Amino acid sequence: MADFLSMYSIQHWLESCPQGYLAGTAYGHGPDEREPALVLENDLLREQAIGATVQLVVGERCALAASSGLVNAAPDEASKRFLATQTLDEARHVEIFSQRLLDLGVKKGEMEDTIREHANPNLVRFAEVLLEKVDRKDFVAGVVGQNIVLEGMAFSVFEMMQAAMQEVNPKFAHTLSGTIADERRHVGFGENRIGSLIAEHPEKKPEIERMQKEMSYWMLATFADRFRNLSAREEIRKLRSELSGYGSAPAKWQGADLSALEPAEMERLLADTVLKEFKTRLGRIGIEYQTPARP
Amino acid sequence: MVDPLERKADEAPRQRFLLEETDFDEVPPKYRRFYRRRKGPGDPLGPNEVVCPVCKVVIRSTRELREGDRVYCMPCMSRLVVVRADDGTLEARVAY
Ligand SMILES: [Zn+2]
Repeated sequence: MADFLSMYSIQHWLESCPQGYLAGTAYGHGPDEREPALVLENDLLREQAIGATVQLVVGERCALAASSGLVNAAPDEASKRFLATQTLDEARHVEIFSQRLLDLGVKKGEMEDTIREHANPNLVRFAEVLLEKVDRKDFVAGVVGQNIVLEGMAFSVFEMMQAAMQEVNPKFAHTLSGTIADERRHVGFGENRIGSLIAEHPEKKPEIERMQKEMSYWMLATFADRFRNLSAREEIRKLRSELSGYGSAPAKWQGADLSALEPAEMERLLADTVLKEFKTRLGRIGIEYQTPARP
Repeated sequence: MVDPLERKADEAPRQRFLLEETDFDEVPPKYRRFYRRRKGPGDPLGPNEVVCPVCKVVIRSTRELREGDRVYCMPCMSRLVVVRADDGTLEARVAY
């Protein structure tokens, strides 16, 4: 296979992404796909969908700020070009999730207020820890925070949401599939590029380990808020079961049927999956995983 | 077309595989048959298949895989080495 760094090229990105899995899509999904009527008509389901989507917009805005900020901190041309493609991927994610807010009936002029109102403060803290490293042009810590911690979390969250949406909301499931494909490249870059840089800069390890522990805590606190503070839980569950496609196939993720899980079980499954992934991914690049406090 | 299998680990004859097209669309069309999505942990792997530990995609070769083979995961751009896991199955490790 050709030189490995040559894969971090705009040409490879064009052929895989815009000319590949995104060809023919509109905002990440089939041009004719729509949100389910019940989600648009029912205030409870709609509010719930808006709340979840806002967290995705907040996470992706952080990823956009981080990846663009890291372009100028990158030590080599191939990494700069890869991060330029990642910057466009993240900007696209911000756009498609913002578009979903519009699709869910949020007015353009109310977008920022809606995001401010629903943004989880713990997720904002998570982003701040990362962006502080990026602002200091700390490439190694920035890439670990962005491409391993943030993207590692996004990878699992998107996979879980995609499994849950597959039957009941194919439009949103398709939107998520494209972002999962993008995340594969991002986590791949994080591990492959940083593995060698960590070996060259072992003195950076303690600071990176502290960052991972802190980001992990804010991530767990975000999950806790999302899963524990579900008002009208039973009613939402009942409404969901009325969605077309519900129950036609089990919403399988990590060996579990998501539709059969209680919120607390889902929170535990997601948190354990993401933390286990952090541990393995960090271990591979020589960083010792730090167990975060449990909120 | 380049097989993701980069190098043969040993020269004994290997089983050959005809790779049918998959619905995997995350790499340019000419490479698609070399990858597939794994349908959960219960989805069995063939002797020519190994899971990428970085992005979880199944990498497929036209030849049976063996310990020491180097494979390439195009979806996440990782170079991998095939190793024998404790349970006797083949798995891929990232080569930095
Ligand atoms: Zn991979």
